[in-house]
Amino acid sequence: MTASEPVIAVRDAGVRFHRGRRHRSMRDFLIRGDRGMQPGEFWALDGVTFDVRPGEAIGVVGRNGQGKSTLLKLVAGVMLPDRGSVDVGAGVAPLIEITGGFVSDLSVRDNIALTAGLHGMSKADIAERFDEIVDFAEIPDFLDTPYKHLSSGMKVRVAFAVVSRLEEPIILVDEVLAVGDKAFKRKCYARIDELLAAGRTLFLVSHSDKDLQRFCDRGLYLKQGRLVEDGPMDDVLAAYGREDGGSQ
Amino acid sequence: MLDRGPRSRRLRVTVQYVEVAAQATAGGANLRRSKHTGLPSRLLALWQRRRAVRLLVARDLKVRYASSALGYLWSVLEPLLLAGIYWFVFTQVFTRTVGAEPYMVFLLAGLLPWTWFNGAVIDAARALHTEAKLVRSTNVPREVWIVRVVLSKGVEFLLSLPVLFAFALLYSAPVDWHLVLLVPGILLMSVLVLGIGLLLAPLVVLVRDLERIVRIALRLGFYASPVIFAVSDVPEPWDAVFAFNPLAGIFELCRAGFFPGAVNWGHVGLSAVVSFGLLALGWSVFARLERTVLKEI
Repeated sequence: MTASEPVIAVRDAGVRFHRGRRHRSMRDFLIRGDRGMQPGEFWALDGVTFDVRPGEAIGVVGRNGQGKSTLLKLVAGVMLPDRGSVDVGAGVAPLIEITGGFVSDLSVRDNIALTAGLHGMSKADIAERFDEIVDFAEIPDFLDTPYKHLSSGMKVRVAFAVVSRLEEPIILVDEVLAVGDKAFKRKCYARIDELLAAGRTLFLVSHSDKDLQRFCDRGLYLKQGRLVEDGPMDDVLAAYGREDGGSQ
Repeated sequence: MLDRGPRSRRLRVTVQYVEVAAQATAGGANLRRSKHTGLPSRLLALWQRRRAVRLLVARDLKVRYASSALGYLWSVLEPLLLAGIYWFVFTQVFTRTVGAEPYMVFLLAGLLPWTWFNGAVIDAARALHTEAKLVRSTNVPREVWIVRVVLSKGVEFLLSLPVLFAFALLYSAPVDWHLVLLVPGILLMSVLVLGIGLLLAPLVVLVRDLERIVRIALRLGFYASPVIFAVSDVPEPWDAVFAFNPLAGIFELCRAGFFPGAVNWGHVGLSAVVSFGLLALGWSVFARLERTVLKEI
């Protein structure tokens, strides 16, 4: 059955970062390329291997700086692994740094069209869903306001509204639920529920056990860049609590 | 009846997925593999996201022309003023011994493409840096950010051409069928600027002071290119050096319509070789540095 083929296949993926110097010298780049480990480097992700089947809802846990966001960026395709491979067999709607794609000088209207278009939404789809997006973001009066004049809460609302309307089979959510007021948070929850019910694959990074338990059936626990636990969400949360709970 | 029920949605998504998978095995359409990919698959990926390029170019032009009433004037003002100054210096102060008559048309036919080259190289070199937030958050082929600069500057060049024709008319310069050589000139310029942009953009992210070096190089490059004179005006040992400047052939193609005999096909051939060579070099450097750049921005 095709439905049981993995939609995301991560094989021995590793990402290397530099601790100190921001970049190597010109000479190193041109002569040595990006081979070889250098002093001050560390693996933000190290030998991570897992499969995701369509429709799975996966929660990623771990303390700050243990590679959660890096993992999501790999799946989103905005970062490339230094080792191993990340194969993604379907489109991705990344709710990562979502306000990043918005241009402060353009109006909200133009920004919606631009961001949706950059994420691959067709012109017809944008026109069709425009009202839905505006409605969801609750910003009908601010459509022609430059994006920079919105409050930070509004910015996140617009961004979430656009990206969560992408008809992509995979959704990545990185901590965006932490912002916004209570009412909007409720709406976001409802929207994610809706997407899950529609059979989307969810990848959620969160520090909230409640959110993780609510949405996810499977958990990944990252520690120092390594995948130390992969199993049912509750078990993974229990393991995380046992190991890191005391220091939180 | 239960058209919008979860079950049918799930089915639809599954079907979508099957389609995607089939597409992927057929031609790598939507399937993203993180292993090193060659030029053909990079070109294919770029072509598939051409809509993103169109959107960005449209946005650039909108910002350029719609946001200020003088938008169009600004884009042609600099080459016009430069042309005026050079015309004054070389025909009024000195006695003109270089270029060809009408000198104003000769100048503009070089200065307008130079303005494209200059602006596109500066903007392309820092493209990944200035759009860091967008590059970090959207999964489009990273070449898009360079192609977009080359194209929007190219459209600005096209829109500035009427100025050239207006001056040609004013000076009643002879115009013949060689004017069509503008087309290969424009194509060659796009190839050249894209190659240089792909080469510089990742390097500027990693070595910030390169941006200053680029500016200085461009200022010197202006005099190392046949803008205010022709390669044929350069004395014996040096003209060979100028011939290797890929802009020499391109400017000759741009001037061909107004100045019979302006084209030296040897220069054009060299220009094509250098331009395509730079494109190949630029693209391979870009592909090689991509993963490092994504971590640094």
